[in-house]
Amino acid sequence: MLKIWNMKQKQQSDANADAAAGNKKKKVTAAQLRVQKDLSELELPRTMKTIFKDPDDVLNFELTIEPDEGMYKGGQFHFTFEISQEFPHQAPKVLCKEKIYHPNIDLQGKVCLNILREDWKPVLNIQAVIVGLQFLFLEPNASDPLNKEAAEDLRSNREGFKRNVRQSMGGGIVRNEAFDKVFKTRD
Amino acid sequence: MSQPVMVAGTIPVPALEPDSRWTYLDNVRRNTGPYTSEEFDTSDEAVSTMDRLKVLGAGGLGCELLKDLALSGFKDIHVIDMDTIDVSNLNRQFLFRHSDVGKSKAEVAARFVEKRVKGVSITPHNCKIQDKDEDFYMQFNIVICGLDSIEARRWMNSTLINLADPENPESYKPLIDGGTEDCQIAGLSTQLGFKGQSRVVFPTITSCLECQLDMHAPRQAVPLCTLATIPRQPEHCIEWAHIIAWEQEQPFPKLDNDDPEHITWLYKKALARAEEFKISGVTYSLTQGVVKNIIPAIASTNAIIAASCCNEAFKIATQTNPSLGFEENYMMYSGNDSIYTYTFKHEKKDDCPVCGQLARDLEVDPNFTLQEFIESLAERAEAQLKKPSIRAESHTLYMQSPVSLEEMTRPNLKKKIGELVGNGDEIAITDPSLGTVNFKYKLKFFKEYRAAV
Amino acid sequence: MTAVITDQAPPILKGPSDKEKKYDRQLRLWAASGQQALEDAHILLLNSGAGTVGVETLKNLVLPGIGKFTIADNATVKHADLGVNFFLDEDCLGKPRSECCVKLLQELNPDVKGDWFPREKGESLESLFGHGHNFTLIMYSLPIEAESLALVQKYAEKNQVPLLSIHSAGFYSYFRIHLPGTFPIVDTHPESTATTDLRLLTPWPELSKFAADVTADIENQSAHEHGHIPYVALLLHYLGKWKDIHGSLPSTYKEKTAFRDTVSAGARRDNPEGGEENFDEATAAVLKTISAPSLASSVKEVFDYKPSEVEASSSFWVITDAIKQFYGKHNALPLPGSVPDMKAQSTIYVQLQNIYKAKARRDISEVLEIVRAHPSGKDVEVAEIETFSKNAAFIKLIRGIDSTPPSIQTIASQEFENDKTAELTMMPLSLLPIYLSLNATSHLPSASSSDILATVGKDVLGASDNQRLVEAAEEVARAKGGELHNISALTGGMVAQEVIKIITKQYIPIDNTCVFDGIISRAQVLRI
Repeated sequence: MLKIWNMKQKQQSDANADAAAGNKKKKVTAAQLRVQKDLSELELPRTMKTIFKDPDDVLNFELTIEPDEGMYKGGQFHFTFEISQEFPHQAPKVLCKEKIYHPNIDLQGKVCLNILREDWKPVLNIQAVIVGLQFLFLEPNASDPLNKEAAEDLRSNREGFKRNVRQSMGGGIVRNEAFDKVFKTRD
Repeated sequence: MSQPVMVAGTIPVPALEPDSRWTYLDNVRRNTGPYTSEEFDTSDEAVSTMDRLKVLGAGGLGCELLKDLALSGFKDIHVIDMDTIDVSNLNRQFLFRHSDVGKSKAEVAARFVEKRVKGVSITPHNCKIQDKDEDFYMQFNIVICGLDSIEARRWMNSTLINLADPENPESYKPLIDGGTEDCQIAGLSTQLGFKGQSRVVFPTITSCLECQLDMHAPRQAVPLCTLATIPRQPEHCIEWAHIIAWEQEQPFPKLDNDDPEHITWLYKKALARAEEFKISGVTYSLTQGVVKNIIPAIASTNAIIAASCCNEAFKIATQTNPSLGFEENYMMYSGNDSIYTYTFKHEKKDDCPVCGQLARDLEVDPNFTLQEFIESLAERAEAQLKKPSIRAESHTLYMQSPVSLEEMTRPNLKKKIGELVGNGDEIAITDPSLGTVNFKYKLKFFKEYRAAV
Repeated sequence: MTAVITDQAPPILKGPSDKEKKYDRQLRLWAASGQQALEDAHILLLNSGAGTVGVETLKNLVLPGIGKFTIADNATVKHADLGVNFFLDEDCLGKPRSECCVKLLQELNPDVKGDWFPREKGESLESLFGHGHNFTLIMYSLPIEAESLALVQKYAEKNQVPLLSIHSAGFYSYFRIHLPGTFPIVDTHPESTATTDLRLLTPWPELSKFAADVTADIENQSAHEHGHIPYVALLLHYLGKWKDIHGSLPSTYKEKTAFRDTVSAGARRDNPEGGEENFDEATAAVLKTISAPSLASSVKEVFDYKPSEVEASSSFWVITDAIKQFYGKHNALPLPGSVPDMKAQSTIYVQLQNIYKAKARRDISEVLEIVRAHPSGKDVEVAEIETFSKNAAFIKLIRGIDSTPPSIQTIASQEFENDKTAELTMMPLSLLPIYLSLNATSHLPSASSSDILATVGKDVLGASDNQRLVEAAEEVARAKGGELHNISALTGGMVAQEVIKIITKQYIPIDNTCVFDGIISRAQVLRI
């Protein structure tokens, strides 16, 4: 049997590295480590915060966005982040918890954001995803929608769209769909 | 073709002798060659050490690996596979018959090879690789895997690298990885089927699978909005049915990719959508392919890759010739257009999160509070951390950011180290000032921990 | 009797058949046509020596469902076989190796027929070849008795059957394909990135009109419209403008990059995204799609080849002749007709697809007309002409063995010359020494390294002074003619891939010898 260890010894004496010993315990996974790095470097504006149900599980958390400008101002939106052990090879899974009227978010909460799917790259981080989500509320994009009706409204009648947004945010019915009430309740 | 002219007679048939089963293996095990190293030993004793080596084969190449390992002279082989036999396996996984459909792959394969090759012991493990602990993997001398997901590969890789203990020569397990489902040659990743790769990792010494993660092509994705509003290709219609229509209509409680009824539902949905947009090309087979992310697979490619892996295992075990590893460690094979192999050295990455920074020992007083510990870190020459965040395997100890996590983990600062982690546990530290580098320490208590009363 | 008329479900909604399920993973590679070719094939293995590499090859052909295979082998099973051949067991000891291997191989796939030879002791090979079998392809493993080799070569020559020799010993192997005459391939399966052919420099009226329509009043289009103009139309639009200003289309690299900048400048950036995806696609496509069509050297080779009288009447050469005439007339091959996916609204994209499809159909019917005018063109099937026209840019010809092949000395000099600069060019060293050393034992169970070098020395000057040749000879001698299972399994996989390529006439087989070095894990293809 090839003695790899001898090679290691040689490599180590070259590098003069420390030796280690003792019991083997469970290790931090590469995905966990990367998420920890991403999270500790997060810079969140006032309008956003993260919620961790279990601080030990950094791979699953919630993000709250409370836009303070734009058409969705005054609302409170919750997104779940689900990060797999394949991160950062695979993008985080992000879902909007509320049923909202938005051209780029469908009624099931799926979000159309390029970096969550076709344009995801391992060099991107969680900050980039969060910035992308924030952007969706400031500038809903009508040209490639997930919610076609909302996009049509935005394209054809911006004022009407604005009214629909406010109506839906109050828990009203727009185009025969009932939406969740998302106006921030006073604490 | 120029035919060699030799004094050729007829080819004699060797006489039947009882002990000659391993004649051909012995030709190379008992004779030195022009490339064998000085350590190569042709004695009986050296040859018989192979009887005691324990090797593990895992994943989709299992059938080929077991055959090749048994006929390489390995005597104690384990196989781990959680899958059951599907009818679509029969075109290549040659130890399985129609009557085996539904049975455990590991068990059927082990029984078959054990029966066919006398004197070999094969132990099946019908479970996920993740169900086994470090003690299990510690018993093997070589691990060969043909796993079909990146997640499983990463897990096996980090598990074997974490086993490596500089004080224990036995803890360095060569990892040999083979695959046919996602190799890239010069950036081209299309047209799988006749292609594959095999590679050898010497934990902590050579480039590991994590270092090589960028060699895997991520699956191409289509923008959700294209699926929702402007489909153009049959695949767009299928993905729409799969991702959007299924959830809206929930025809069955949970999507089962192997249930023909479910696939048929998706197929009909996709077909209707394709008709609506005048798109042609939606078929049942394409639907199944897109939904299950089916990659073509044939017996011959599996044979090439598995045999390449076992050839390296044989050379590592017997030293009958140099193996891939220290220098060249990666072989790519492509058979679409003529035959092309590319064998090269993939360099180890210093900032690899798995093998780049191995845990160093850190002597610590377990009676320190976490706060005191963090302050002491700032003074360590190699660290000089400004805003360290720390976690143990299942535990977030302290996060500087985001605010919510900082608040939740702040109470830990007052707790004693001994309360938060055990002696010998590993902690990982990240810090914005470190860039892509991170630190791992294995904590060693130099005092006894006194729990607060 | 009353006929019961049931509502038949439309066939398109039927699930896959049992056979389709079993072969699903390979049908995605070579489709039903390739599968049919495999199922119609009968392969003969002439087995000898340690006898494993050929059987491993057959395993990889029985599994995907080859129609029939026959093993001819004079050996009886001995203990050494059990240590290298998986398709033998204890019960086989002392029995004919051919019969035992066939029986265990057949277990792998009940759809496959297996036969062995000799059926009776002492039957000579001549009787096998005299039996009126129609072998599709013959493989033989080395070392082989010279007499048997002569017989099989004679049969292959007479019946125009592809012949494959395989030699595996120790850590080395090679195999060699001897194709009867030329071997043309239409379905080469090029990488999908290579197949885009949009003809942007030579648009036809329908395409120009389409581009003009969707780019009409481009400045005043709504954001939605502007952001969804397919890039094909964008490029045609800007090419038109370029021509108006410069008098000709961009042709040099410098002009093309300047053109690219013009396209890019057309994108609207005052939107939230700061750009438009379709313009990004157009910009990225400039260098790849704005170039005059040129004929690939492999196609030129097909056009330049002068088929023999017998060959010339085959459908491949009849269609080639037609395509050549088509090319002469239009300075372009028939349009393949496929359009890559691009940002566009569904209806517009489908419209664009139809314009390309219609032009492709017109091209095909023109080729069809030329074919029909050919003296042997009456019975050529339309489907074949269609496939050929669509793949015309990727057809490939593998030549048979030359009537006057270059001498081994010439090849060796070339290879060893290359090796001198290998470090500089970062090319791996030639594996020819392995081929030469194995080839020297083509008719011997084993040989010493000095014998091997002496034999090689008859063809290659200074063989025994060549360090790498000496080492290869030593390594071959060390194996004493024994096979290592891994090397034979690996080689069996490679050979099976090649056999599948030849039988299905899909993908591109090697030309003509592949050498594998299991020490450094590398293969090299040589034309010998």
